Amino acid sequence: MNSSAIAPLLAQVELRDRSDTNCVQDNGTFCLDWAVDNYERYVDPTLEHIVLVIVSVVLGFLIAMGLAVLSHRRRWLIPTFTGLTGVIYTIPSISLFLLLLPFTGRGNDTAVIALTLYTLQIIYRNIVTGLNNVPPEARDAGRGMGMTDNQLLRRVEFPLATPEIVAGLRIATVSTVAIATLAVFAGGSGLGAEMYRSLDFKTGLLITTGLTVIMAIAFDLCLSLFQRFLAPWQAPAPRERRARLAALTRRPADA
Amino acid sequence: MSVEYRHATKRFAGQDRPAVHDLSLEVEAGEICVLVGPSGCGKTTAMRMVNRMVEITEGDILIGGTSVRDREPAHLRRGIGYVIQQIGLFPHRTVADNIATVPALVGWDRDRVERRVGELLELIGLAPETRDRYPSQLSGGQQQRVGVARALAADPPLMLMDEPFGAIDPINRERLQNEFLRLQANIRKTVLFVTHDIDEAIKMGDRIAIMKQGGVLAQYATPAELLMTPADDFVEDFVGADRALKRLALLRVADVDLWEAPLAYVGQATEEVRAKLEGAEVPHALLVDPERRPLGWLSDRDLARETVPAIPDSSPDPRVELDDVLRDALSDLLQAESLYAPVVDAQGRLAGVLSVEVISDFLTSPAAEVEEHPAAERPLGHHE
Repeated sequence: MNSSAIAPLLAQVELRDRSDTNCVQDNGTFCLDWAVDNYERYVDPTLEHIVLVIVSVVLGFLIAMGLAVLSHRRRWLIPTFTGLTGVIYTIPSISLFLLLLPFTGRGNDTAVIALTLYTLQIIYRNIVTGLNNVPPEARDAGRGMGMTDNQLLRRVEFPLATPEIVAGLRIATVSTVAIATLAVFAGGSGLGAEMYRSLDFKTGLLITTGLTVIMAIAFDLCLSLFQRFLAPWQAPAPRERRARLAALTRRPADA
Repeated sequence: MSVEYRHATKRFAGQDRPAVHDLSLEVEAGEICVLVGPSGCGKTTAMRMVNRMVEITEGDILIGGTSVRDREPAHLRRGIGYVIQQIGLFPHRTVADNIATVPALVGWDRDRVERRVGELLELIGLAPETRDRYPSQLSGGQQQRVGVARALAADPPLMLMDEPFGAIDPINRERLQNEFLRLQANIRKTVLFVTHDIDEAIKMGDRIAIMKQGGVLAQYATPAELLMTPADDFVEDFVGADRALKRLALLRVADVDLWEAPLAYVGQATEEVRAKLEGAEVPHALLVDPERRPLGWLSDRDLARETVPAIPDSSPDPRVELDDVLRDALSDLLQAESLYAPVVDAQGRLAGVLSVEVISDFLTSPAAEVEEHPAAERPLGHHE
C-alpha cells in the first residue's frame, strides 16, 4: 500500500527540477519546494476535515444538551448518563471505528457517528458542571420572582453556565480534530486519509500533522472569542475596572 | 394588601419538629411586619410560605383574603416582591435587565419597561448610566438597592424581604434602612421583613413577630409594647438587657414632659431673675431673645451684676429639637456633661427644657406611659 500511495507523487515530481526530486526521493524531513507546489492537494481534505469536526461537535452538543435537560430536574439520571458516555469515551478510537463498520458501512457517516459519540462525555459533563455552578441565590431569586422551571433554565441557568459549556466545546473540538484523523479506518475522508497515504513520506506526514494542529488551535481561538462574546459580564472592560479602582481609593465608604 | 397566617404549620420531611408551628398572625395592609428570632426559629421558612417557595403543611395563608394555596405558584410569585440577603442579582444581566425581570415575565411592552427602569433607578438613587452595568461592577450597597428596585418593578402590593441588609457593612446598612423607611412612607407596601437583629426589627417594624425554636410565635406586638411588656422570659432575653435604652430610640423629645426654666431677657434687672429662680424646676436661668430663641445659661457671676448681660457665661448648647429621638438627645446631654438642654421647635424658639432626670425617671418606670412609635398607629394590649 505504501509504495502504491507514493507512486503518483513520484510521477508528479519526476517532471520537476533535480533538487526537489532528490528531496522527495530521499524522503527528506521536509521538502519545502514540493510543499509549495503541491499545497492544492491538501485543500479539499482540510475542508472535509473541518466539516467532519463541526458536524460531529454540533451533533454531540445537541445530544449532550438533550441529556442535560433531561437529567437537570431528574438528578438520578446524571450518574447514569455520565457513566454511559464515560464508557463510550474509554473505547479505543480505532476499535470503535472498526466496530461500527458492520452496522453503518464505510464512509463519513460512520466517522461522524463515532466522533459524535466521543464528544458526548466532555460536553455533557461540562454542561452539568456549568448548571451546578449557577449561584444558588440567582436560582432562588429567579424562582421567587415567578419564573417557571423552563424560564429559569432558559433565562438564568443556561446563560450562566455558558462559560463552562463553551469550555467543554473547546476541549471536545480540539480532541475531535485529532481523533478525526482516524476516521480513515472507517472509510472517512479528511486529513486522516491524506495522512494515511503519506505514512512513508515525511513531508506529507508533517504537512498533514501541521494542518491538524493549526486547525485545532484555530478552532480553540474562535471558540474562546465566542466565549467572551457570550459571557460579556465576566470581565469588566479595563477602562471600567480602572475607574472603579480609582473610585474605591477616593471614597472607601461609597455605596 | 393584608396577609393572614391561619394556623400555618410547616413540617419538613424527615424532621420530627415542625419548622413553623401553628403560626397565626395578621399583617395589615401598608405595614411592615418584622419576623425576628434566633437562627433556626423558622422565620425565613415562615416568610417563604407566603409565596410558596416553601409549601404549607397544615393551615393556610391568605393574601388579601385569598388563599395562597389556590394560586399557581409562579403566578402568585410574580405579584409579590422578593428580596433576599444574598441579593441574587443575575450576574449575566445588566442592571436594567435585572430590574426588568418581572415586567418581562408578565409581558410588559418595551417602552413601559424602559420608563419603569428609569423611575426605579431614580427612586433608589442610582445614576442613569448604571443601567448598563453588570452587577459585579456595583458596590454591595448599590447591588442591594438594585435588588430592592427589582422587587418593586411590577409594583407588587406585598414585599417579602429576607435579611435584605444582612450582608452590608453597618454604616451602609443604617443608610439603606433609612432609605427604605423613607421609601416605604411613600409607597406603603405590605412588607414581611425577616431579620435576626432585634435592633433592626425595632427600627423597621410597625409590628414585630418574635419567634423561638420550633417555629413558635413568642409575641406579636408593636416595638414599644415588646420593649415595655415582653410576653415571657424568652422575649425579654431576646430583646436584651438594654431594652429600656432601646425604648429611648422609639421616642422623640416631644413625647416626654419638658421642664420650664426661669427665663431672662437682655437688660432685665437680675433681681427679678433671681426671684424667679426660687423653687423653679430648673435651677438655672435661661437667657432668650425677644423671639424666645435661647442665647445661653446665666451663671451666678452673670446674676451678680445689676442687669442681665447680652453675652452670658455659658452657651445654650447642647440644644435639642422637639423632633430629635430621645436616645440621641440623651447622648448629646451626656457628651456635653450637661444636666439640662433647651428644647427648640423648628423655628428655633424655646419649647421647654429637657433634663436628664426626666429621662432617668422614664427609664426606671417600666410601665411609663409611652407615646407610640410614629409608624405604629394601632397599639394592642395594655394601652387600651
